[in-house]
Amino acid sequence: MSTFFEILSPSYLLFPALLGTAIMGLVCPLIGSYLVLRRTVFLGLTLPQIAAAGVSFTFWLQQSGFLPEWGQGERSVGMVGSLAFTFFGMGLLGYLEQRGKGMAEGRLAAAYALAGGLTILFIVFNPAGQIEVLNLLKGEVIALSQGELRLLAAVYGVVLVAILAFHREFLLISFDRDLAFLLKGRQVVWDVMLYLLAGLIIAFGVILAGPLLIFGFLVLPALAARPLVSRMSSFLILSSVFGLIMAVFGFYSSVQLDLPLGPTDVTLGCVVIFLAYGFSRLTARMGRALAIFLVCAAGSFSGCASRTTTVPVPDANSIHSQQLWLAKVKNSTALTLLLPATNPLRSLAEMAGKISSDYRQSVMDLLRDHLKAELEQKGFDVSLPEQKEARFPPLPADDKSALRLAREGQLSGIVFVSEIRRWEADMQKFVRVVADFKLVRIDDGAVLWQRRVQGAIPTPSATNLGQASSDAVNAIVRELFAG
Amino acid sequence: MKSERDVDAINSARGRESFDEPLPLVSLRDVNLGYDSTQVLYGVNLTIYPSDLVGVAGPNGSGKTTLFRAILGLLPILGGSLSRSCPLSKFGYVPQSAALDPQFPLSVGEIVEMGAYGRVRSFSLFPKEEKRQVGEVLDQVGLRHLTRKSFFALSGGQKQRILIARALMVKPQIMILDEPLSGVDEATRHSITDFLIKLTREKNLAVFFSSHDLEMVQRVTDKIVRVDKGRAWLEEGKRVPHS
Repeated sequence: MSTFFEILSPSYLLFPALLGTAIMGLVCPLIGSYLVLRRTVFLGLTLPQIAAAGVSFTFWLQQSGFLPEWGQGERSVGMVGSLAFTFFGMGLLGYLEQRGKGMAEGRLAAAYALAGGLTILFIVFNPAGQIEVLNLLKGEVIALSQGELRLLAAVYGVVLVAILAFHREFLLISFDRDLAFLLKGRQVVWDVMLYLLAGLIIAFGVILAGPLLIFGFLVLPALAARPLVSRMSSFLILSSVFGLIMAVFGFYSSVQLDLPLGPTDVTLGCVVIFLAYGFSRLTARMGRALAIFLVCAAGSFSGCASRTTTVPVPDANSIHSQQLWLAKVKNSTALTLLLPATNPLRSLAEMAGKISSDYRQSVMDLLRDHLKAELEQKGFDVSLPEQKEARFPPLPADDKSALRLAREGQLSGIVFVSEIRRWEADMQKFVRVVADFKLVRIDDGAVLWQRRVQGAIPTPSATNLGQASSDAVNAIVRELFAG
Repeated sequence: MKSERDVDAINSARGRESFDEPLPLVSLRDVNLGYDSTQVLYGVNLTIYPSDLVGVAGPNGSGKTTLFRAILGLLPILGGSLSRSCPLSKFGYVPQSAALDPQFPLSVGEIVEMGAYGRVRSFSLFPKEEKRQVGEVLDQVGLRHLTRKSFFALSGGQKQRILIARALMVKPQIMILDEPLSGVDEATRHSITDFLIKLTREKNLAVFFSSHDLEMVQRVTDKIVRVDKGRAWLEEGKRVPHS
């Protein structure tokens, strides 16, 4: 488990993802503020959805052979689709707006529904794995690479500079179009510029972070800032600060609690809105007192007030017992967690149904091997229950069930139980894990040590799923024994 | 756009009977106004000179705002000719305060600063000289002490005066005010009309404003444009014109 300041360190493995989220949290609300003030919030929802449709469309085209393999990674392909669809969608909506037919809200609602429908249809059409495309659409910002971070920083940097440079024009065109015409000439130039910037951050943001997170960053910080300010400059600054808070604390909560980033950030943003409206109803003194309380509470929550410590597996001497039974690792996921075969001939035979997959090593086997080696290093005399009884089952992490099974199997002394509750490895350079580990004394049922490993474990150097799982196992065992 | 304005100015100059006569700021000859193919006003003739105080009076929906929008270039004319001898950036426009969106968190100072946006370049900070100017125009309308207050928290009369200050910030040659006296009490009406008269006399500004209160318009203006049932005609006001 990382403390708050650990995730802020550049050496932290997920630091590029945090930085990327923070950049989006800082810049998106500046554009979103204008969308909120111009009462075009729904545009902030519709454009990301149109961008998502573009992503799924390009993947479908590529997988169907209509587009060549570019070799620059899946996200680059998606980015092209995202950009093309966003700007086409904006152009079409702008054209319909100029014609002035129908309700603006109606057009946006129809565009949102159409984009949502097309996104799903293109995914369904895609012959190559819907889950993979869905993952890309979800926009796992946690897998942000250094190159993508640089691109994000460059695009969002340009947008930030443009907003700062033209903030007077954007304010004037948004607030009083007639005065804007008199002082600055044709308003359409500034409208186009504002929507162009919105399109840029949405198109790039959606492929890197997903439509939900981008919509959240665009709209929620501005809605939270609005009741607290009476000046435009303060509004823009506070929106941006709220976006940054959403990004950093949302990221921290997401990592700590192993929750998906988008929904976590959006939920946090909504909490900030409620707090902001609450603050706006308080007197200045009460507001200050509540602010101080909230800062302290956030400090405690984030670990800056008290650093959490993790206890490593104890030595054999410290628990006065050298005999230890290492139970099989229980797999409570719905997956087999088999590692890929290293022998291509065996793989072919397995695919042809000539041999079963039993010969393949699983994540549980790998984890158990590593645990055994480390426990022996700690001075334990490690025995395997199946040496006593060949059909001895894996023990669950639940104390009572583990004890019951151990006693039924006539084990005595200490037993080490491990249970994998979640194991999601994909090619996005991390493995999501929830696993419980316990040292239980069989005689009296006392739990001598226990630990839960939960979160996204980075596997930056993995080139295939097997290697990602193997790296994750190494990282878990390191964490268990190093503390 | 600029060249069209230059042509307007030259045409206006040509129409002068003598070089002693001041150049009209705005001139409308047989102008038809409306939206798409729907005509709202027919055959409007009007000339506004510097230091004129002109009122437009007529019932709601008679075309007062349409006339303003055409003069400001926000609405194309459907027929006739309209000429301006000063650029649009020299028009100080005061919209109805109710037309502005209270969703925007804007202080009084920020509202008035907008009047200078035509002069301030992008990529630059708001100049100190312009900030000083903001204070001065707020002094003129007597509301400098409200600089940091939220604009939308002010009373109707205060909002009108702030919008007049914003229009003054433009450094205009002509001020166009859309219903500046609606929704304000009698005392504020008097202070606003007195201020408009002062502007025409002391700053040589032309002021063109609308109201549906004919009696008040007659009392304070040099000439009145009456609009009703698609027609517009000129009447003399009861105020002694300032020479």
